[in-house]
Amino acid sequence: MIKKDLSVDFLGVHFENPFLLSSSPVDNCYEMCAKAFDEGWGGVVFKTIGPKNFEVDEVSPRFDELTKEGTPFVGFKNMEQIAEHSLEENLHDLKQLKENYPDKIVVASIMGTNEQDWEELAQLVTEAKADMIEMNLSCPQMTSHEMGSDVGTNPELVKKYCAAVKRGSDLPMMAKMTPNITDMIPAAKASLAGGAEGIATINTVKSISNIDLEKRVALPIVNGKSSISGFSGKAVKPIALRFIQQLRVAAGLEQLPISGIGGIETWQDAAEFILLGATTLQVTTSVMQYGYRIVEDMKNGLMHYMEDQGVDHLSELIGSANKNIVPAEDLDRDYKVYPKIDWDKCIGCGRCYVSCFDGAHQAITWDPKTRRPSVDTSKCVGCHLCNLVCPVGAITTGEKVMKPGRKGNAEDKQVESVRLTHF
Amino acid sequence: MTKKYETEAPGYTMTTVMEEAARCLLCHDAPCSQMCPAHTDPGKFIRSVRFRNLKGAAETVRENNAMGAICARVCPTEKYCELACSRTGIDKPIDIGGIQRFVTDFEQQAEMDILQKGESNGKSIAIVGSGPAGLQTATTMLERGYSVDIYEKSEKAGGYLTYGIPEYRLPADIVEYEIKRIINLGAKMHYNVTIGKDITMDELKASNDAVVVAVGASEAKVLPMFEGNDYVESAVDFLARVKEAKGNIKDVPASAVVIGGGDVAMDVSTTLKRLDVEHVTDVVYEQFDEFRASKKELAGTQREGVTIVDGYVPESVDGNEVTFKARNMDGKLTIKADKIILAIGQQVNADNLGINIEHGVVPYTGYKTDDPKVFVTGDIAQGDQTVVWAVRKGKEVADLIDSELIGGTK
Repeated sequence: MIKKDLSVDFLGVHFENPFLLSSSPVDNCYEMCAKAFDEGWGGVVFKTIGPKNFEVDEVSPRFDELTKEGTPFVGFKNMEQIAEHSLEENLHDLKQLKENYPDKIVVASIMGTNEQDWEELAQLVTEAKADMIEMNLSCPQMTSHEMGSDVGTNPELVKKYCAAVKRGSDLPMMAKMTPNITDMIPAAKASLAGGAEGIATINTVKSISNIDLEKRVALPIVNGKSSISGFSGKAVKPIALRFIQQLRVAAGLEQLPISGIGGIETWQDAAEFILLGATTLQVTTSVMQYGYRIVEDMKNGLMHYMEDQGVDHLSELIGSANKNIVPAEDLDRDYKVYPKIDWDKCIGCGRCYVSCFDGAHQAITWDPKTRRPSVDTSKCVGCHLCNLVCPVGAITTGEKVMKPGRKGNAEDKQVESVRLTHF
Repeated sequence: MTKKYETEAPGYTMTTVMEEAARCLLCHDAPCSQMCPAHTDPGKFIRSVRFRNLKGAAETVRENNAMGAICARVCPTEKYCELACSRTGIDKPIDIGGIQRFVTDFEQQAEMDILQKGESNGKSIAIVGSGPAGLQTATTMLERGYSVDIYEKSEKAGGYLTYGIPEYRLPADIVEYEIKRIINLGAKMHYNVTIGKDITMDELKASNDAVVVAVGASEAKVLPMFEGNDYVESAVDFLARVKEAKGNIKDVPASAVVIGGGDVAMDVSTTLKRLDVEHVTDVVYEQFDEFRASKKELAGTQREGVTIVDGYVPESVDGNEVTFKARNMDGKLTIKADKIILAIGQQVNADNLGINIEHGVVPYTGYKTDDPKVFVTGDIAQGDQTVVWAVRKGKEVADLIDSELIGGTK
């Protein structure tokens, strides 16, 4: 079995691997975290600890899923708030985890309602021997507007609370950002100005997942009613990647340490977050669906990827895809590439024909007798929708041509990708 | 003991049917839809399932096929829609029958009334025989505004659906529900009436605008050497007896030899095993590469542990000992069993109906007879003899009669 060094250093703390459970239902007590450590997770961000006077009172039921065809958990909606155990129990669990798993990393997630809360909580988790603090400024389903994402969208409050935490603790600290905001950069900069060393993002996206059409109530139904709450899972991955990429290319934030969160369930997802600038990775939804064991394939798959890429440390990969993401106006618009149809692979379903006609440029002709498509290059714009809908990978990139009047050599244009060439 | 006989294999759940529907490539100009003899249009109803429109899916099935829930269970789809399925180019065809069963089960649970009676045109049709062809003819005629009387010689409707196909493959309550739907649409049923005996064809013709003969091939064929042998029973009689008793027959043999290689022989062999007959041997005239039974039924029979011997023809019988001769090699095979069941085909009884039958069918294509008021459909009309073809023939004869009587096309 492949063996590679997956360790990373993040905010001055050494992690044996970058995989952490995010602050959520998956790590709300000692037994859960211990089991996750035993199964190979590098760390946990223990479920958010709130102030002593904040009473957590949860609804039942509290989850919903978005499905597509036969696929469950395309996205996941969650109404649970922060840790339901008492402050004393949580602090005890943190301490015990560190005692029994000294090589694993225990991050304490905290959330207060005012500066005093934040400072006190920071102090308490530091005394409990946590390795790091994560400030939860982003939970979208709190029953208090002084907590959660309402705070995270206000840069002044973010800065003030970060400074409070820094007064209470000298532990490394990251601020967890909400995606329920147009531009994350002001909030991220405010948290750095307040003393944060890194950013964790994204928290869940405010959502309504489904409506019961008979009762006309959103799901889950809590005694006849429902609420907007956080959405997570695979469906939010593109949103998370976009925020992380934008943070890492913002002026002054190029080396920003990021703990990436949002729909990670395979090593490929993990690699994508790393390539856009995440150093550590946090996971919940896929654990809720499949359990802690998913870390085995994420670690092993990431090792194989490192081997394939010829790197010995993940640090060599972090943020390395960002230079290839440019503003839309800077993209090369001088050429187009036609699809190439492999008639030996084609099974004659006609999906490319339907999609090209109804969704693109009527550039695929269909022979009803042989049930085979052909590309009409006089109409084709090279959009490659046909490639995406082909169920057997029979359509790949073919001839490249310069647009009329443009200079350059079409053959030099790089358009091939794993997605476009392999099924 | 009869549980194995009575229990149908479980169908899809909402989740598993979505998984199967998601395998469907949703082809342009779907080949499966072009291959359904009854034009049930799987391409359309699977797409409806995929987009969670189960009511729309049920409409597509039902409006095209009055036997939709039955076809879903008994159609040899491997020869029709699934044979054409593009997914075969990747792995294996979509389980179209299974998805159709889910859709029609949903239709029943939701108590949908999809078929609508047409506005009365004052014309009346008599149908002789209530098998699938007669029932489909009735449905289409009722939708077009005709009044319909169905004459059935037995005490229940459905023909082979009711008296032949075993319970584990086609539960009686499914057949009853399909028939009830057609009765609710307005079909008047006359049970225990034999046309040509209790009522003459002339009387029927006098009181109706058209008469459709859909008597099917309901009587067993017997080889002369087996006549009068107490160990011998016909497949038709055996299956009807077991179905009527819901599997609780008293004379379950310890061993049985079945002769024949069609779906009926498979039904008999599998039924015997499900009644816990330990030793069942099916001897078949055809060799495996020329088998008539559908692959699905053959596989099911083999799974039950039936011994199948192909390429042998019965030569002589002495009490319960049958001797077969190899067709293509030198050699003989002698088997002794408690019971001998003949599944060598059925014949038509069209006595006093004025219809010329040769080798089980009318000697001409189409549905017209010499008498302009009399039509044929179902197994006695030319074409395949499956339920789905019965549906097709039912729709086609109804179209023909409608255009003859009203002058419309559809």
